Amino acid sequence: MYRLAVDVGGTFTDVVLQDEQSGQIVATKVPSTPEDQSRGLLAGILKICAEAHVNVSDIRTIVHGMTVATNAVLEGKGAKVGLITTAGFEQILHVARSWTPAPVTAWIAFLKPDPLADLELTRGAKERMTARGEVHVALDEASVREQISELYDAGVESLTVSLLNSYANPQHEQRIRSIAFEIDANIPVSISYEILPEFREYERTLTTVMNAYVRPVMQRYLRNVEAHLQSEGLGSRVSIVRSDGGLMSVAAASERPVHTMLSGPSGGVTAAASIGTRTGFRNVISFDMGGTSTDVALTYDGQPRVSRETKVGVFPVKSPSLEVVSIGAGGGSFAHVPLTGALRVGPQSAGAVPGPACYGRGGEEPTVTDANVLLGYLPPSLVGGEMKLDPEAAKTSVLRISEKLGIDVYRAAKGIYDIVNENMYGALRVVSVEKGYDPRQFALLALGGAGPLHANALANLAGSYPVVIPPTPGVLSALGFLESDVRNEFSRTFIQTQSQMHLETFIAELKALSEEAERWLEAEQVAKALRSVTHEVDVRYFRQGFEIPLQVSVDMLQQEGLGVLKQMFDEIHERTYGFKMDMELEVVNLRAVAVGKVTSPVAPMLALSDEDASHALVDAEHEAYFDGEFRRTPLYDRARLVPGNQVEGPAIVIQKDSTTLVLPGFVATVDVLSNLVITPVSTVVE
Amino acid sequence: MAMDSITVDIVENALKNIKDEMDVTLFRSAMSPVIREQHDCFPMITDVHGQMVVGNFGSHVPEVIAHFPEGVAEGDVIFLSDPYSCGGSISHINDWMIIIPIFFSSRLVGYASMFGHVMDVGGPVPASLPVTATSIFGEGVRFPPVKLYERGKLNDAVLRIIQANTRTPLENYSDLMALVAACRTAEKRVVELCARFGPDTYQEALDELLARTNRMMRQLIQGFLPEQPVSFEDYVDDDGLGNGPFKMKLSIWREGDQAFFDWTGTDPQAQGPISYYLSDAMFKMFIGAFLISVFDPAIMFNDGFYDLLHVTTPEGSLLRPNFPAALGCRTHVLSRLFDVLSGALSLNTPENSPAAGYGTSPYFIYSGTDADGRDYHLMEVMYGGLPGRPIGDGLDGHSWWPAFVNIPTEYLETYYPLRVEYYRTGMDSGGAGLHRGGNCNEKLYTCLADGLVSIHDDRAKLQPWGINGGEPGTSSYKILIRSDGTVEHLPSKLDGVEVHKGDQVLFVTGGSGGFGDPLERHPDRVRADVARGLVSRDKAAKSYGVVFKPGTTEVDEVATEDLRRDLRETRGELAAFQFGNRDVVASSSDTM
Repeated sequence: MYRLAVDVGGTFTDVVLQDEQSGQIVATKVPSTPEDQSRGLLAGILKICAEAHVNVSDIRTIVHGMTVATNAVLEGKGAKVGLITTAGFEQILHVARSWTPAPVTAWIAFLKPDPLADLELTRGAKERMTARGEVHVALDEASVREQISELYDAGVESLTVSLLNSYANPQHEQRIRSIAFEIDANIPVSISYEILPEFREYERTLTTVMNAYVRPVMQRYLRNVEAHLQSEGLGSRVSIVRSDGGLMSVAAASERPVHTMLSGPSGGVTAAASIGTRTGFRNVISFDMGGTSTDVALTYDGQPRVSRETKVGVFPVKSPSLEVVSIGAGGGSFAHVPLTGALRVGPQSAGAVPGPACYGRGGEEPTVTDANVLLGYLPPSLVGGEMKLDPEAAKTSVLRISEKLGIDVYRAAKGIYDIVNENMYGALRVVSVEKGYDPRQFALLALGGAGPLHANALANLAGSYPVVIPPTPGVLSALGFLESDVRNEFSRTFIQTQSQMHLETFIAELKALSEEAERWLEAEQVAKALRSVTHEVDVRYFRQGFEIPLQVSVDMLQQEGLGVLKQMFDEIHERTYGFKMDMELEVVNLRAVAVGKVTSPVAPMLALSDEDASHALVDAEHEAYFDGEFRRTPLYDRARLVPGNQVEGPAIVIQKDSTTLVLPGFVATVDVLSNLVITPVSTVVE
Repeated sequence: MAMDSITVDIVENALKNIKDEMDVTLFRSAMSPVIREQHDCFPMITDVHGQMVVGNFGSHVPEVIAHFPEGVAEGDVIFLSDPYSCGGSISHINDWMIIIPIFFSSRLVGYASMFGHVMDVGGPVPASLPVTATSIFGEGVRFPPVKLYERGKLNDAVLRIIQANTRTPLENYSDLMALVAACRTAEKRVVELCARFGPDTYQEALDELLARTNRMMRQLIQGFLPEQPVSFEDYVDDDGLGNGPFKMKLSIWREGDQAFFDWTGTDPQAQGPISYYLSDAMFKMFIGAFLISVFDPAIMFNDGFYDLLHVTTPEGSLLRPNFPAALGCRTHVLSRLFDVLSGALSLNTPENSPAAGYGTSPYFIYSGTDADGRDYHLMEVMYGGLPGRPIGDGLDGHSWWPAFVNIPTEYLETYYPLRVEYYRTGMDSGGAGLHRGGNCNEKLYTCLADGLVSIHDDRAKLQPWGINGGEPGTSSYKILIRSDGTVEHLPSKLDGVEVHKGDQVLFVTGGSGGFGDPLERHPDRVRADVARGLVSRDKAAKSYGVVFKPGTTEVDEVATEDLRRDLRETRGELAAFQFGNRDVVASSSDTM
């Protein structure tokens, strides 16, 4: 039997197939079909089965990473959403957090996106809960019934209910949903208590509205997928990849599509974590550099960091996701020189059309890719590559800025290369130093087509060694999906200071959440032996603004009492900010994390050969630009390198989906899992 | 060019990252909501001479360092809150500032500094900022520059004096340590940069960054400022003691690539605490910020252009009060300064400039003891209408201050004895225009405990003006509704009115002016405003000439065209600036 993972991206749909017995993996790509992604998905499945001579009915499970929900938001193609909120707070999305950007007077040029639920389609229900969850004004059912009918008459396709203080008592939200179903049972209703039962009304409402906005699109898509699979006779179980790298059923994804917003990038992070662990580096910073943007993520001790707030376009969304920092720096980012005479790279980019100047599709402005071509880092003719690059066009484009800067064209190209690295280094710092991690204790793992070209230089800035380039940096997300576990979180806001809390109630609350988690694992059909439920508590000093999540267990609390929370928190606070306070602790959220372990066979390790890599030489005389001059920089074919081979920098290793640059003073070694591992020459153990 | 421009770019990027990291450190560890939830704080990194190379305010370092004849050493942390000892870089005693000298291999390479608005600094009223203060001695405790740490050792005496002089010692301690932590972060990162590039290259890169901004500003001055002096005036309502309105007048011209800004004609300093000690450096930074926002928002700021700008501020005026004038409520003058600057710069090219907005930083302050016997001190910064702008409508109920945010109602109701009955923007409060002025905020609180309420606001008498034919916005107001139904109108500046359980406070901020001719606004956009409840049908007809088919929100195109034609004929020529009630209010008070 086989397991199959699919990553539907904007341009390509990547498919990987794994033999459950041997662990062997094969991969392929088909063009994505943006108008109905499920067609590309099916085409990919059929193609890989044909290539691997596998019968489609032998696929036991399909793990599906997607961008359906994200694209609906980014392209503004979601449903027409209606919003019921508490009377007096109708403008919650319109006013948002009142934020405008820095510095002073920058609001003059600030453009704000329209909310996903129009104020015209927002109604205030006559009702009110207090912060303690007591009913202050009873729900006026007749009036809300009339309001919902009005919205449905106006063409609303998906309804959101998000009431003030509903995290403390969901009764009114639930009642409004029943009323809505009485009016029209076919229109989906998302209530905020179920999507995000945590306090801070704007973020909860926005997240719930986003769920409602993408829900009809997602439901349509998932129906198509199921229909296609059935028509081909596939009885496979389909799992959808969540933003936090976990898996959920199709039914769950139809209810809560907002949990799939970062489904795609999470695969890369999961893969980075597992490759790191297998290679012996449990601390990994991974960066995925594509055409328009770069995603950076951090894995500490084999565990990717989970964040509870992320951004989709300009909208902050509170839903658990693997923490990924995205910046507008990619191969297609434009270099430009503003009035001050500075050299800047990005955030504008050439996109797929016209693309960098060297693609010869009409682009004229210099991009990072053009700089790489000019510097000799990206050979114009790639092994197995489908496209020839035009070095003259690259040079002409870079001349545009080198003339403005009054410097040599190669120096300008190197400047573009250095500055985009510096920009990525900024993102790398956000996930590491700003969170209290020292990047020098991390390995750097490169993903995406452009990542391996910049990885060595980025590692130099951050001091993160070694650099690990996996065998297929281009399809890493799909590989990561094969490593995903079934996962979900159950949380509730529980605001109490330590002196107000009783150990018994506290433990009872935690247990109630873990029971809910257990029920969910049951519904997801996870075998008992593979289940685990852990607890987290978000705490802070009384009235402080940000919480820090602490890992706790019922056993630990029973033995050591609630005092242990304060000890743990003080220690983290002092380590992160340099001081602790003689102040009461306050609990804000409780959470149970449910995980259903998915066993995935591991690809076999290969035997080590010797260091000599000369059999893989493609061009011994190739030249590239370093430190003000061109140097001999041999080209190697990655496909011909075998474990144990060493490539001394400067050198370039080429492969179908990527190109790796090894800088002078570094050496790349092929390990037993076929990763290229780049280290400074001085640290290589002979 | 002295050095490799790419290195300069890289240093610039690195400095921006450091500044962001300072903010993150502060937000995560500070305690006062006004810093942490609302971001009333300002980071800065300077070069070895104390010139700002990255930051959001004007440098004050040389003046402060001069207070220490023994000089500064590695491990020193300077703390201050006295506006008169730093040339006005902080402008009231609620702003606490930290300065850390940065050393690399025992050599001074620059300074990191940050200040933030702390909850309470003593004095007669909770949250300090007393409206009735007539000298700085009546506002609370004031700290001249002192070393909080000396060569790495905490000066415990200073800390104890600080804590003894505030109603919120724990919060202030946390905020102070958070400011230190943020500056320490900058210190660490700058040292890393020096290690990476070498301290000489680092310093040269800073010089070049300053020079770049200087070159850019010369171009902006020549392209943007008039050779013949232009003047603009606007007013602050009052000083809370019954005096006012106060005129602020600015004249601008250039000579070659040098720019001149002259406040002559501005009223004398106020008796009440509204005078704003305008630091030259701060004002130059504001001018730079304004030109850059209008012209090229991507440019990074620093002190490099300061020698091109020449500022004249009359001593003893509202903008350069003599010690010991009270300064606590200087926000109104500080905000109005931008309206005046914007107005003056727009006289020759009004199409590039926004109208006037809610024009201050309104505060709602509520304190007392709750049912559990715990003291509570809430200071909430409110927002209002951002004016109509060249690129489009003003934002409704948004912050004029950079990166400030509102406090979630669920947060307020969890931690303070109050309930918010509604929080919305005021229909029709934004002036009509081709680009509509943003609406004000309207927030109704019910007090759930006995306590004291203080209010700080302005634009209650003089309306925010419209530009290029846009109409002015509405004024702010406050109402206290007692639990027995009695209604009291409260002034815009008020200390500690007693409230009791069940009383309600309605806080309404100023709207903002519109931009451009309202009759040119597309009827569909007026329709959307009406359907969203932001503009009334009545205003749609009177100001925009848009008529709806009876009982619908469907535009009656024929009737609209007719009405617009009539309005155009009867209104006469459109004024470039519409000041609303200004002439009436300003002339009625000449007796002060």
